[in-house]
Amino acid sequence: MALAFDEFGRPFIILREQDQKTRLRGIDAQKANIAAGKAVARILRSSLGPKGMDKMLQGPDGDVTISNDGATILEQMDVDNQIAKLMVELSRSQDYEIGDGTTGVVVMAGALLEQAERQLDRGIHPIRIAEGYETASRVAVEHLERIAQKFEFDVNNYEPLVQTCMTTLSSKIVNRCKRSLAEIAVKAVLAVADLERRDVNLDLIKVEGKVGGKLEDTELIYGILVDKDMSHPQMPKQIEDAHIAILTCPFEPPKPKTKHKVDIDTVEKFETLRKQEQQYFDEMVQKCKDVGATLVICQWGFDDEANHLLMHRNLPAVRWVGGVELELIAIATGGRIVPRFQELTPEKLGKAGMVREKSFGTTKERMLYIEHCANSKAVTIFIRGGNKMMIEETKRSIHDALCVARNLIRNNSIVYGGGAAEITCSLAVDAAGDKYPGVEQYAIRAFAEALDSVPMALAENSGLQPIETLSAVKSQQIKENIPFYGIDCNDVGTNDMREQNVFETLIGKQQQILLATQVVKMILKIDDVISNSEY
Amino acid sequence: MASMMQPQIILLKEGTDTSQGKAQLLSNINAVTAVGDVVRTTLGPRGMDKLIHDDKGSVTISNDGATIMKLLDIVHPAAKILVDIAKSQDSEVGDGTTTVVLLAAEFLKEAKPFVEDGVHSQNLIRSYRTASTLAIEKVKELAVSIEGKSVEEKKGLLAKCAATTLSSKLIGGEKEFFATMVVDAVMAIGDDDRLNLIGIKKVPGGNMRDSFLVDGVAFKKTFSYAGFEQQPKKFDNPKILLLNIELELKSEKENAEIRLSDPSQYQSIVDAEWNIIYDKLDKCVESGAKVVLSRLAIGDLATQYFADRDIFCAGRVAEEDLNRVAAAAGGTIQTSVNNIIPEVLGTCEIFEEKQVGGERFNIFCGCPSGRTATIVLRGGADQFIEEAERSLHDAIMIVRRAVKNSTVVPGGGAIDMEISKYLRQHSRTIAGKSQLFINSYAKALEVIPRQLCDNAGFDATDVLNKLRQKHAMQSGEGASYGVDINTGGIADSFANFVWEPAVVKINAINAATEAACLILSVDETVKNPKSESAQGDAAAGAMGRGRGGGGRGRGMRRR
Repeated sequence: MALAFDEFGRPFIILREQDQKTRLRGIDAQKANIAAGKAVARILRSSLGPKGMDKMLQGPDGDVTISNDGATILEQMDVDNQIAKLMVELSRSQDYEIGDGTTGVVVMAGALLEQAERQLDRGIHPIRIAEGYETASRVAVEHLERIAQKFEFDVNNYEPLVQTCMTTLSSKIVNRCKRSLAEIAVKAVLAVADLERRDVNLDLIKVEGKVGGKLEDTELIYGILVDKDMSHPQMPKQIEDAHIAILTCPFEPPKPKTKHKVDIDTVEKFETLRKQEQQYFDEMVQKCKDVGATLVICQWGFDDEANHLLMHRNLPAVRWVGGVELELIAIATGGRIVPRFQELTPEKLGKAGMVREKSFGTTKERMLYIEHCANSKAVTIFIRGGNKMMIEETKRSIHDALCVARNLIRNNSIVYGGGAAEITCSLAVDAAGDKYPGVEQYAIRAFAEALDSVPMALAENSGLQPIETLSAVKSQQIKENIPFYGIDCNDVGTNDMREQNVFETLIGKQQQILLATQVVKMILKIDDVISNSEY
Repeated sequence: MASMMQPQIILLKEGTDTSQGKAQLLSNINAVTAVGDVVRTTLGPRGMDKLIHDDKGSVTISNDGATIMKLLDIVHPAAKILVDIAKSQDSEVGDGTTTVVLLAAEFLKEAKPFVEDGVHSQNLIRSYRTASTLAIEKVKELAVSIEGKSVEEKKGLLAKCAATTLSSKLIGGEKEFFATMVVDAVMAIGDDDRLNLIGIKKVPGGNMRDSFLVDGVAFKKTFSYAGFEQQPKKFDNPKILLLNIELELKSEKENAEIRLSDPSQYQSIVDAEWNIIYDKLDKCVESGAKVVLSRLAIGDLATQYFADRDIFCAGRVAEEDLNRVAAAAGGTIQTSVNNIIPEVLGTCEIFEEKQVGGERFNIFCGCPSGRTATIVLRGGADQFIEEAERSLHDAIMIVRRAVKNSTVVPGGGAIDMEISKYLRQHSRTIAGKSQLFINSYAKALEVIPRQLCDNAGFDATDVLNKLRQKHAMQSGEGASYGVDINTGGIADSFANFVWEPAVVKINAINAATEAACLILSVDETVKNPKSESAQGDAAAGAMGRGRGGGGRGRGMRRR
């Protein structure tokens, strides 16, 4: 890229490695950026909705992911183009904030870019398009606020929550047991939720998966599930009313952290050392026994000698339990993590009604259930499924459902799904557009058109006639002035999303619109791309 | 090429690049103009952004002149001066970086025909200097003071200045929202000079409006060990202990070695080590602190120990954050746990760990000294937040300057037009060449409104003529007329609250004139070949001046 030439026509070296850089500017840069953004959106378009398809992605190491979740797909695609990366981040943001609607937000941004391209061809200044979009997005968000409905729920009446989670799950591969999965997700969230502060710490919900069994076997455990077994095969497999000692120190003789050496020059000294070591083991086990522990959970491993001793003293133990799990166990059982044997006291023990080891099918794999805990503020969702990919995808779907349930606890407003919200927004924005004088009006109308692309994609993916279906629903909405009509993806026979129980969270939908607008503005605002030619 | 044909007296090392005389001056001007053209389009509310890949593959999307200039990686010696003035404008006033580059390029462009016609550049320099002094005096004269207003009123006025800066940025759509936030943040820290008292934290996700201001300190949850979740996460009026020591079971002396001859003493060594750490922890607890923060690690043992005693702790807190907590909460950072007196403990009204997007944040609000503020920025993409941060930085700088130097001038090109008019009038009173030069200086100043129009797609000639007419009015009532970016016409910038602190303009004119004069005064460049690249440049030198090839050669070796 040469910026300037002198009077002899020789280029100046103004930039470092100037001739290796390329520069794209003006309308070309915008067109190229829009094309990149649209390409990403096109990939995800077919994943939208209950009849959306999954993508299979093979990683560099040959590991395969099958997913329907927009954020996951984009993350795994490992895109290189900067604008495409913005779209990936867009999807990720939606994931962080809301956890659901990651596909929809990208499709929406793609549609906005497509419309912007048309406006650019008309000669409208890109920033005015972006400003028009911003105005329109505000109109849409306000409109959503108006049509949103609140519903009441409490710990016993959680049906609306289940319905909303089901809408989320219906687009996933697990939709055949969406009812049970949705119930599990809602129960899990309610179990850990702080309903007064309207806060849910999702860290307290552990999602575990194991290959084998059926999806229907997926269960919610009010307690903790650890993928470990007893350290000695002869230890009891079931402990009732367990008192658990949670240790972060190994069953080993303690070592000073300072570098040390023990000089042993006589046989007697060696004998004393050996004896002392044995005594340590003995003391450690004795301490646990003394405080009344009936189960020891240890972050580290222990010697065979200690293991034997524990077995001998009839004290079941679990070793190599990860830090996070350890913490969850501590929270669930109301115990304290003990870093040193000397600190063990009866009060620091965790209590669980039942600890059992369960083996699955014909495999030797076993897992440890810790149930009926003193404090059930930590729960585990245990997923079963035919293969690893299925379990991974189920985990992601459950995560989406959990997020939706959490959002509803934070803010219990809902809008109707199936494209109904988009269609009514589109109508509202279109109507508002006419009130704005100036070039922005065109951009606002373009925004309305872009909103239509979501129901359009839904219809398309469901095998319906997109244009016919959309226009029918739209006219129905206007005629009856009811914002509940959407695309009948499952061919139930009614367009009324209230009857179909297809709900989405208000904040999720608002976020989608705002985020997509923001990113589109950012893309439109770039008119100069300077890059090394290898990119 | 021509030089190769003549017999040469070899004076300098082979490969040395020399060029001199008028041609050199002109080529310098060309280079500067070329660079000015790159940032030209970012000016004003309708200015566009640049997307720049650097050689490591990381990417920046920005509208900020200084950032762009830095990332362009300019190697041309004359053009580099522009990078420097952009940087100096950035560090001096924080905003107007594009303006300063544009002005310098335009001054030189206006000087070019004179140089071509054989005017001695020193003449030009002298006139330019005079013109800039006059211009700055005029700015000072036109500036309106906002001193002496009530706090509320002043806040509103400052928000106007911040909004003007933000209007050209990506977050321009929410400029009022951010302007108020910035003003509140700056007001919170008061007269303190340390800019790092205003923290900006970035959390991806959410939309711009989810950004919020904490009247205290906020930072991301640090790495935690098992047991952390059992600590309480909310306190009212806690005592805060700030440390700079490790709370971990570790060897006290790095290189020490213990030799034991009696195995039965083994236990005592182990106990001794444990006692050291327990002793430290006990002292922390005894101090009465409910929140313990340390710049160094707080290990799992300590985490569990604190959890047992209902104390919140966070280790590996960034130094910057810790300092801000110290400033806000009124504590002092301790390097030892011995002798903790109540005076070194800080406090705040509410401490809480809160979920912000995908992250958990430790938030201290209602701090007694109240001299810090933290802006938590939200946005859809990493690039977006990065750019938002740069924009907010500009706005913060502007507000701070305006607080100190509380005079403002109308923006939107109005002040530039007025100075231009004033200089033109003044030039007519001068006999001699200087008249022409000052006149061209005046013309160069018009580049700001012209570029504003160009970027917005308006007819620049038309708008400029309208502006000239307004500014030429005898009564002086048209003095604050500038470009109206919304309608494509002209409007009274002052009445529309398009305000800039006067210091931005003064600094820009000063720096741009300096740079232009500097470049005009250069008539010879001697460029040494890089010592280690003798071969590459010798070969390239044979081809002429070692242009593209040399540039590439250097770049590759550097890598």
